[in-house]
Amino acid sequence: MYLRAVLAALIMSGTRMATAGFASADASDDYPIPNRILKTTCTVDQYMEAVRDVEPVYYERYITDYKNRPVDVQDAARDRIYWFFSLDYVGRRQYSEDTATNVYYEQMATHWGNWAKLFFNNKGMAAHGTDICINYPPNDATVWNW
Amino acid sequence: MRATMNFSVWTLLGIMAVVAGVLLAWPAHAGPDTDFANELHTYGIYGQKDYNAWIGKITCKRLYNGLDADADNSAQFVFNQLEKGSTTEQAWRFLGAAINTYCPDQVVILQRAAG
Repeated sequence: MYLRAVLAALIMSGTRMATAGFASADASDDYPIPNRILKTTCTVDQYMEAVRDVEPVYYERYITDYKNRPVDVQDAARDRIYWFFSLDYVGRRQYSEDTATNVYYEQMATHWGNWAKLFFNNKGMAAHGTDICINYPPNDATVWNW
Repeated sequence: MRATMNFSVWTLLGIMAVVAGVLLAWPAHAGPDTDFANELHTYGIYGQKDYNAWIGKITCKRLYNGLDADADNSAQFVFNQLEKGSTTEQAWRFLGAAINTYCPDQVVILQRAAG
């Protein structure tokens, strides 16, 4: 009887630990999309203008990658990131959750794996860019045509 | 038999001469990125060679695209990319070396700044 109780306790505890393990795969307020990107009020262009100045090598690599994509993929990536920036904090947080829990959620990623690398993949870059992006003009088409 | 041997010896010597020539020529063409890094070292600017080369080339691109309208803007951009504690003089040295190495046709912006 005692042994049975111990066994049951062990199973319960194992289940709890496993559940906690799954829970840690969910999004946090800083993962997979950096908190600064969830909260910034800058436009896409402002953020890219800032990153062009403060993280020029990352920016250069991203734009080189972008230019190597077919035009329809370039257009779709641009549309998608403008759509994301049009969301409020709650919407962005939900999107972060959706992409963290469902690898197929973001269809853009199946066409271009690094389509949002400049925005989502690097906390340091997001911090440097969002620190100063508000000082730049809200619309600047040259950020994609560099 | 003798003719065949002579041919083999001359062929071998020829190959050796070509290999030696390639080996001798190698260090003389280290490439602009290495030359650039070496010049930066004389100004006390270290850091990764590839990173500095990127910054040098991007500095030129910004001049070509008109994003940096003059040498002051350009030097400011360079200064922001250098390690903390770098001096303004080092930024200008970097700018001069970048222009000489990667976009010599932009030297006019330095002349304008000096004038």
